[in-house]
Amino acid sequence: MNQQNHAPDTEETGIGLDRRRFLKTGLGGALFLGTVSVTAGLSGCASAPAGRITAVGTRMDASYNFRFLTNDDIQLFEALLPAIVGPGLPEQPEARRQAIAGTIERIDSGIHQFGPANQAELRQLFDLLNFGLTRVTVARVWSSWPNVTTSEADAFLERWRTSSIGLFNKGYIALTKISNVAFYGYQDFWHLSGYPGPPQYAVDALPQFHNA
Amino acid sequence: MQSNDVIGQGLASGWNVTDGATLTANQTVEADVVVIGTGAGGGTTAEILARAGLSVILVEEGRLYYQKDFKMDELTSYANLYQEGMSRVTRDGAIAILQGRCVGGSTTVNWTSSFRTPDETLNYWAEQFGLEALTPTAMAPWFEGREERHNMSPWDMDPNVNNDILRQGCSSLGYTWDIIPRNVKGCWNLGYCGVGCPTNAKQGALLTTVPGALNHEARLFHGLRADRLVMDQDRIDRLEASAMGADGVTPSGITVTLKARHFVAAASAIGTPGLLLRSDIPDPYGRLGKRSFIHPVNASVADMPNKVDPFYGAPQSVYSDHFNFLKGVSGPAGYKLEVPPLHPAMSSGVIPGHGQAQADNMARLPWMNSVIALLRDGFHPDSPGGSISLRDDGSPVLDYPVTDYLWDGLRRAYHTMAEVQFAAGAKRVRPVHMDAGWYTSLAEARAAIDRLPMELHRVRLFTAHQMGGCGMGARPEESVVNGFGEHHQVRNLSVHDASIFPTSIGANPQLSVYTLAARNSTRLATKLAG
Repeated sequence: MNQQNHAPDTEETGIGLDRRRFLKTGLGGALFLGTVSVTAGLSGCASAPAGRITAVGTRMDASYNFRFLTNDDIQLFEALLPAIVGPGLPEQPEARRQAIAGTIERIDSGIHQFGPANQAELRQLFDLLNFGLTRVTVARVWSSWPNVTTSEADAFLERWRTSSIGLFNKGYIALTKISNVAFYGYQDFWHLSGYPGPPQYAVDALPQFHNA
Repeated sequence: MQSNDVIGQGLASGWNVTDGATLTANQTVEADVVVIGTGAGGGTTAEILARAGLSVILVEEGRLYYQKDFKMDELTSYANLYQEGMSRVTRDGAIAILQGRCVGGSTTVNWTSSFRTPDETLNYWAEQFGLEALTPTAMAPWFEGREERHNMSPWDMDPNVNNDILRQGCSSLGYTWDIIPRNVKGCWNLGYCGVGCPTNAKQGALLTTVPGALNHEARLFHGLRADRLVMDQDRIDRLEASAMGADGVTPSGITVTLKARHFVAAASAIGTPGLLLRSDIPDPYGRLGKRSFIHPVNASVADMPNKVDPFYGAPQSVYSDHFNFLKGVSGPAGYKLEVPPLHPAMSSGVIPGHGQAQADNMARLPWMNSVIALLRDGFHPDSPGGSISLRDDGSPVLDYPVTDYLWDGLRRAYHTMAEVQFAAGAKRVRPVHMDAGWYTSLAEARAAIDRLPMELHRVRLFTAHQMGGCGMGARPEESVVNGFGEHHQVRNLSVHDASIFPTSIGANPQLSVYTLAARNSTRLATKLAG
């Protein structure tokens, strides 16, 4: 908490604290993200968990109760998932919608177990991506997420994957890891990794699979 | 088939077990000893003290999960059985931390590898930290005792293909390798150790020492988080703890106060320094939470010509120590070679990627082998380890700077892993690194590895072994506890977990934790009885 309090390098003073260098410093990054969270809150961005979304007019199973993801976060993942796990998604439109919706629900239930500290970090990341000004200036995504094409989402992920700024790499890993795990780790998609599931003879023999 | 459900039977027989989520009123309880944590250290301590006739209360933040819950499912297990729902990382996010959070601690989810502390490590501790009592000869009977208690012996079935690739690669290159001792009894060779043993074969704390303690009148609270130890003058008076709700992560608001003559912290090398920091335990020399070690791990994946099915079979059965002490105990960083099991969620989270490239990676999973290198940290001035501090919410976090000394070791390890995988017949090899591709020859891989940037976030780093932070030593100026795990400044506080290691171990640490906890608990039992 105390080591980043140094003065900027000489060449960074004056007109511009170089954006890359600014973000590279832990404090710069943390402050920047913190500011976004505050700003997003003040400007009225919906930052309350989405809770139970009504089935009418949405893609979601109304029985699932979102405990962390906001409506904006859900739109973010609806835009990103086709770029992250798209090749494995079903082509039939309704099945595809269901697969995306289910993956977002599993992302939410996974994050619920992360605990307050890691949840706060993800909140900063999601707010940065959802807040228009930072979405454009930091993520360089020009459209709002519902209007982002899969190739634009892929280009964004690719920028953050290959960036020389550790904070963006960290964001890339966070977004892809929770998405990949929630998708490839779910039994409906095990076939994509040629995983047959737990051996059937063990399932047949073990009591925990039979005592309801 | 006769049931071997030790926990289910014990609960039915009337064990004194309380789920924090069921508590509806604040309360105070008292015992001779309060043991915080139920993993390798806490379970061992509780069993030995309870058998000696002392009254013992075990406190566990995670919940009690056992056979009925272990359904070989990754997503459920990672969410419930691991710290921070498997999202634990170092403060900068660059190193993923795999650590258990449940009754039995990490022994409930580890891959059963059971190594003695290497002689080189014990001798180094004797020379550097004044721990002459911990020589290999002096420790041998304690290791034997724990090997017997946890049914540890070299795996006597054929290694699965994933492990056999490491054996073949090392054999053809003339690198030493050996079979891993495992703590199992009647193992079905399924491959699901990491998500909770479904057959009750794994002899971790959950099925050995914790039941042993409960059979001797110990009491277990699970779903109860140790918040802080409260001092009264120079002694700890009580532990204040918070009950967690049924989800295991949200405090219910109910508190439990635990009073005892003696307190044993065994909450892991992250949890114990965190608890002591929250409690403002005296630390006159600023040693608390310092010298944290993790065996930094990097990985390499290989596309093999024949099916590997790396999700099936005992996850770890072959290892190589060829490079572990090759350049001396305190020379350039040495590393142990092992393999990890690869299930879909773990693989898709560990191998960085998205889109078609990731889909292609995952489609080859049945042909995938992975080798991991575990670096020995803490044996060199340029490997001083990390430090534990507290976040805003009071939870502990590890800062772990990766030094040039370690980057050098990690790059050499990438080379060795690729060499071993090609020697075993790999068609393609990919270092698990953000900038690496698939390489089709060793020459190509070597040239690429030499160019890969050794930087945080680009190198994918992991740890499943957390050690240090309450280091033991003869001199209070440079340690937190003495060679018996007794706190230098607070007389009724002991530390019985991996946080007392003054360096990393140089091998998977569970047997080292069991053994030191057994030795130190035996002494503690005598002192408390006297």
